[in-house]
Amino acid sequence: MIVAEQKPFGQVKEFVEGYRKIMVAGCGACVTVCLVGGEAEVKVLASGLRIAHLQEGKATEVLEACVTRQCEPEFNDPLVERIREEGVEAVISLACGVGVNLLAEALEDVPVFPGVNTTFFGGVKEAGTWLELCAGCGECILHLTGGICPVARCAKSIMNGPCGGTNDGKCELGGETACAWALIIERMERLGTLDQLEAVQPARDWSTGHYGGPRRMTVEAVQAVAKEE
Amino acid sequence: MRVANECLTAPCSAACPVQTDTRGYADAVARGDYERALELLLEANPFSSVCGRICDHPCEQACRRSKIDAPVGLRALKRFVVEHTGEHRRARRARQPVLYPERVAIVGAGPAGLTAAHDLARAGYAVTVFERGDAPGGMLGATIPRYRLPYEVVREDIDDILALGVELRTGVEIGRDVTLDDLRREGFSAILLATGLSESHSLTIPGIGSEGVLLAVPFLEAARLGTTTPVGDRVVVIGGGNVAFDVARTARRLGASEVTCACLESREEMPAHEWEITEALEEGIQVMPSWGPRAIVAEEGRVRGIELKKCLRVFDEEGRFAPTFDEGHIATLLADSVILAVGQRADLACIEGSSVQIERPGRLRYSERTMATSEPGVFACGEVATGPGSAVRAVADGHRAARAVAHYLETGELLEQEPVTPPTLGELPDAVAEKVRRVAPVALRHAPAEARVTDFGDFEAGYSEAEALREARRCLACAAGAFADDDRCAGCLTCVRVCPYGVATVDKTAAMPEEMCQACGLCAAECPAAAIALQRFGTYRMREELSALLAQIPESELPRPLVVSYCCLFEVTSRSFVRAHPADLAETGIARVMVPCVARLSVPDILAPYELGADAVVIISCADGECMYPTAEQRLAGRVRRAKALLDEIGLGAERLDHWKTHESAEVSWTAFWEISKRKLAQTAVKETVG
Repeated sequence: MIVAEQKPFGQVKEFVEGYRKIMVAGCGACVTVCLVGGEAEVKVLASGLRIAHLQEGKATEVLEACVTRQCEPEFNDPLVERIREEGVEAVISLACGVGVNLLAEALEDVPVFPGVNTTFFGGVKEAGTWLELCAGCGECILHLTGGICPVARCAKSIMNGPCGGTNDGKCELGGETACAWALIIERMERLGTLDQLEAVQPARDWSTGHYGGPRRMTVEAVQAVAKEE
Repeated sequence: MRVANECLTAPCSAACPVQTDTRGYADAVARGDYERALELLLEANPFSSVCGRICDHPCEQACRRSKIDAPVGLRALKRFVVEHTGEHRRARRARQPVLYPERVAIVGAGPAGLTAAHDLARAGYAVTVFERGDAPGGMLGATIPRYRLPYEVVREDIDDILALGVELRTGVEIGRDVTLDDLRREGFSAILLATGLSESHSLTIPGIGSEGVLLAVPFLEAARLGTTTPVGDRVVVIGGGNVAFDVARTARRLGASEVTCACLESREEMPAHEWEITEALEEGIQVMPSWGPRAIVAEEGRVRGIELKKCLRVFDEEGRFAPTFDEGHIATLLADSVILAVGQRADLACIEGSSVQIERPGRLRYSERTMATSEPGVFACGEVATGPGSAVRAVADGHRAARAVAHYLETGELLEQEPVTPPTLGELPDAVAEKVRRVAPVALRHAPAEARVTDFGDFEAGYSEAEALREARRCLACAAGAFADDDRCAGCLTCVRVCPYGVATVDKTAAMPEEMCQACGLCAAECPAAAIALQRFGTYRMREELSALLAQIPESELPRPLVVSYCCLFEVTSRSFVRAHPADLAETGIARVMVPCVARLSVPDILAPYELGADAVVIISCADGECMYPTAEQRLAGRVRRAKALLDEIGLGAERLDHWKTHESAEVSWTAFWEISKRKLAQTAVKETVG
């Protein structure tokens, strides 16, 4: 799941300085699940903006909205219509970067500002804590590493084992971060597959990741069918 | 779209013969709205004052709280409501307009007949109730001992009914003074017989005709009137039902020092209510279960004692009444009086001279479904038709009869009425029950037994206001909890993680099974999709409520600084803080919002007041460690921290939000908290000006 963190209130408030009709638009998917951008947080941010503007004696109108998923044009369309109808001058999107991109594209001439910093692909460690577990590298090697990703979970994305900085199972960066390779080795030992690490892997082609440029995926089955003549 | 499941009745209401909205009135009491509670009571039961004293409370027997600690004291709460809303009740009396030409005659002014009279009058019919006694009330006034039910209490209910315009003719015995045919000729289009079971059964044992052998009904009637002949020192009561105990406890109060109840049933089978038996035992009454009457021991025609024989079994394999005895096992008790409380039968003199048929002596030919007798236009209800039952059952039957009669008058047809069993919840699952905080019930205060037996005074003290509020809060709000909106739910599992009772589950979307939800509101307050609503509290709706509250005062008259205080409803011991008067706000500068547990406030709820111009928000929760809901205090603290951080970021300042914990009670500590918060604001204002 895409994990994001809220931007500082002050920063977001500055984005919309000077606009008199603002909308805060949330997203009902990932940012709801990681508790930063769903309908509840839309209410919190909208409330905060209203209070701040009230203090400054500004008569700003702050509207609230939430879309099922901002990464789908069809879900954004009704919101776009409403934005036009109501004459909204600026939008703060609490969706992940994907949503901001698409909503901005759909609106063209109405600025869309990000309300969150999109951070990583992650999963829940325990209630309220998400960890980065996948880097979207485009060439998954989890079959080689016992299901633990060295691209995402090793600070240096090393492919062949722990570096010299590994420190009692923790990454040399410090803090709570585990050494991914320590985890991999422990796991593969339990699986009885440790010896597979001795196989020589060819040099990795990193171009499948973001490093090779923005990616695109197509599935023919749902593409629009050309009209028959 | 949010949809609450309105199909399930709370178990207490489902168990009530008249389906009183018990859950509703408990909530109304807890919110300090006693008048609304009264409306809910009277909606279902015109005999609410009576039932507040003597109802056998099937609602309490069904109360799901029993599994946790003890049922909610619903009967005593009912008593509290009627005792504290007298003025309101009298003020709401109004004569009902007569809309139809048809007149209804009701024979018998007991609870069944008068309930039917009440309903028919409200429906627009002219009703006349004929009562052979001097005063209305049936058994409620005539035989139920005053220490259980003072007559003034019965009159509260009856006066309301008569105020509708129901005509009462006392001292008129139908069948003797006037026949049913006479009533027809007088112009009554329908007749309802509600004459009850006014005659005591006797026994055919030797010596039964001796002086000093009495029957329960005439004995209790005389006791009510103060006309009993001395019962002597030793009294034996034959019978194990509630009437037997009424008799025994009455005899005790008339001076008997040794009173014994002997009955066929074993202790477990005894039909009297457990609490009746307990109170009787406290009063020194002896109980001899599994004994049957054999013969009266008399001397010169006067009772000296009674011979009892051991009863081995009361009911046969098919459950029929067929007692078997050990004739060789005899006990003899000395007695100055022997009083028989072995059941009652109907006096059907009212049908004399008419063509209404009987099934057998003492039983009318009667259809339970249509409530019709053999004679068109003549119906029957209450114990004369159903056999013995409680007061609330009589009320239920009266309601049924009114529907039957009204239908007949409107269409000329009989109405078939099926018994109603509303769908309700099952038992509270053990896994949830163990997590619910135990709260001991408020004990009903009874005068000590030695004092009680000296007179017929009321010995149960009703709840004080603080007690009623405390007891009403114990209601679990069964089937009135949280529900999630499928359309908004993202399946994020927050509700599952936050629920202190392990109730919330997510399959694709969240569900809070009604069987289990405790309505704490924590899931609703934490849900990131704002997808959960509570049936009883508007999470995220505080802005609207506050707007409405503040709108009552012109902007120029709003006090400054304006402080909005969210206060925990569960800490009040009186109504003084519950009713929010606009004048209050203008005077104190505090806009009070009572919340049933402030831990259900979401962050937007906490921020809402500032949007409306409040200078500060004060949250007052319950005393430390006292919160009804586990983990709620910590959740609220987390939300307060978040709100404070946001207030700092906004530039308003975290000190504009205060969170206090009640000390002792609302009345003791809240005013001081508000003063401190306001003073702090004044100082901040000074600092801002100076700085």
